[in-house]
Order: sequence, then C-alpha cells, then structure tokens
Amino acid sequence: MEKVELVPYFNQSLFIPALRAKTKEGALEELIDCFVQARFLRNPAIALEMIHRREQLGSTGIGHGIAIPHGRTTAAPDVMIAFGHSKSGIDWQAIDGRPVYLIFMVLAPPQELNNRYLPVLGRLVEILSDSHLRDKFHTATTFSDFINILKS
Amino acid sequence: MPGKIKTQIEFLVALQDLDIMIKEIEEVKELGFEVKGEGLTALMRAREELMLKIKKPLLASYERLRNRYKRAIVPVKDDNCLGCFVRLPTSITSHGRTDKEVLICENCGRILYWLS
Repeated sequence: MEKVELVPYFNQSLFIPALRAKTKEGALEELIDCFVQARFLRNPAIALEMIHRREQLGSTGIGHGIAIPHGRTTAAPDVMIAFGHSKSGIDWQAIDGRPVYLIFMVLAPPQELNNRYLPVLGRLVEILSDSHLRDKFHTATTFSDFINILKS
Repeated sequence: MPGKIKTQIEFLVALQDLDIMIKEIEEVKELGFEVKGEGLTALMRAREELMLKIKKPLLASYERLRNRYKRAIVPVKDDNCLGCFVRLPTSITSHGRTDKEVLICENCGRILYWLS
C-alpha cells in the first residue's frame, strides 16, 4: 500500500490542526467528538468506550511524539482517520515516555468489504516511523498541506 | 463531550467491540503496537464486568447469535439490516435510533444497531 492510498481515509472535517485538549483523555474525547460533528458517528459513548478499552491493552503512543488510538467498533460505518495536532504535547504513557504531538485516530467497522483496516493501520505505523515525514506533519496547518504530504 | 454507555444496546455493542478487540490482539501486536502482559487479562475482566450489566436473556441471545453468525449485532443502513440485507419494517425503524431499546431483525434474528 502506497502512502497516497491513505488519502481517502482522511477528511477535512476530521482534521484538527490545534487540539484544545491538554490530556490524553481530553484528546480522545475531542477526536471522537470530531467524528460526531462530522456525522460519521452517531453515539460517541460507544466509540469512546472501545478506545478506552484499547488503551488498557497497551498505550497507542508508538514513540517519537506519535499516537495512533484505534479499533473496530460496531458504531463506525467505514474505516476513517481523524488527525489532531497538539502544540504543547500530551502525556500518553507512550513507549518512549515522551509527550505526544501528532495523533491519528483510526476507527473501523467490525467487517469491511476489502479488509482495509489492518493494512491502513500498518501503513500508518510505517510512514510515521520516517522522521522526515513526521517533521512535515508537524508543519501542516491546513488539511490541504496535510494531504499534500501524503501525496508527495 | 461524550457520556458513558448506559443502555442495554450500548452495553451489547461494547461487548461485541471488546470481543473483536480480543480476537485481533495478535494482528495488532504484529503491527508494532504495545500489548502489555496483563492487557488481555484486563480486557477479559472488562468483558465480565460488561456481562454483569446485560440482562441474562439478552446475553444468552448475544452468545447464541455470535456462535451462529460470528457477529450478533449488525448495523442498519438506509433502513436495511446489513446482516441479511432485508428492508426493515417502519414499526422497527421508527424507534431504532434512540438506543433505548434492543431491536431484532425479524428476518435473521440479529440484534440491530443504527449507524445514522
């Protein structure tokens, strides 16, 4: 899967260039709320419950200032990714203990036609291990900047 | 900001989401995500706690449907059950979106969850 193939999973209404939240809990709620405002989710409590359970399994802070909270929920109509940028950094109990600045929340339904969820998640982890790309995401202030990074 | 889950259908959906998560642990681990040693134990405990909040007949129905179809709860889209793709009658669709009742597809028997 090429990184450009991730483009359809993002959406302008799921792009938060400056998260208000200062805590992990707050950031998870703000991102879930973003899905609701964009009318991708109807019941935020169900998705938030799943995301909390996922964090119990192990932190989704993968290091280098990145977190990818994720999971399948019956409440999600499709595979979707919300992006949030924290300017001040958030304590996420990440594997390297460092604060998290770039958050990619991936939601997926229990079943999807082409089984894209795990490949999408895997590709996201892969591209975010590239320090050059991470630096670029830090500078993206508009959705268009953000998408151009994926297309470059 | 979102509240906590509190209705029977919300508990059932949370249970199904948890069952899927437990099943996919190995795949997620392979992608490089941290999975704590006690992680699975925590999820199994969470499952037991959720089960206590669900009425026994509903729980039995969930387990029976899960064994039969793999997914006991299926989404409803455009008034169609996405388990058997049969159009649902108005008597059901008129009050499905409130998450106050547990509604069943009259054709396949699966539990219904309204996406929108």
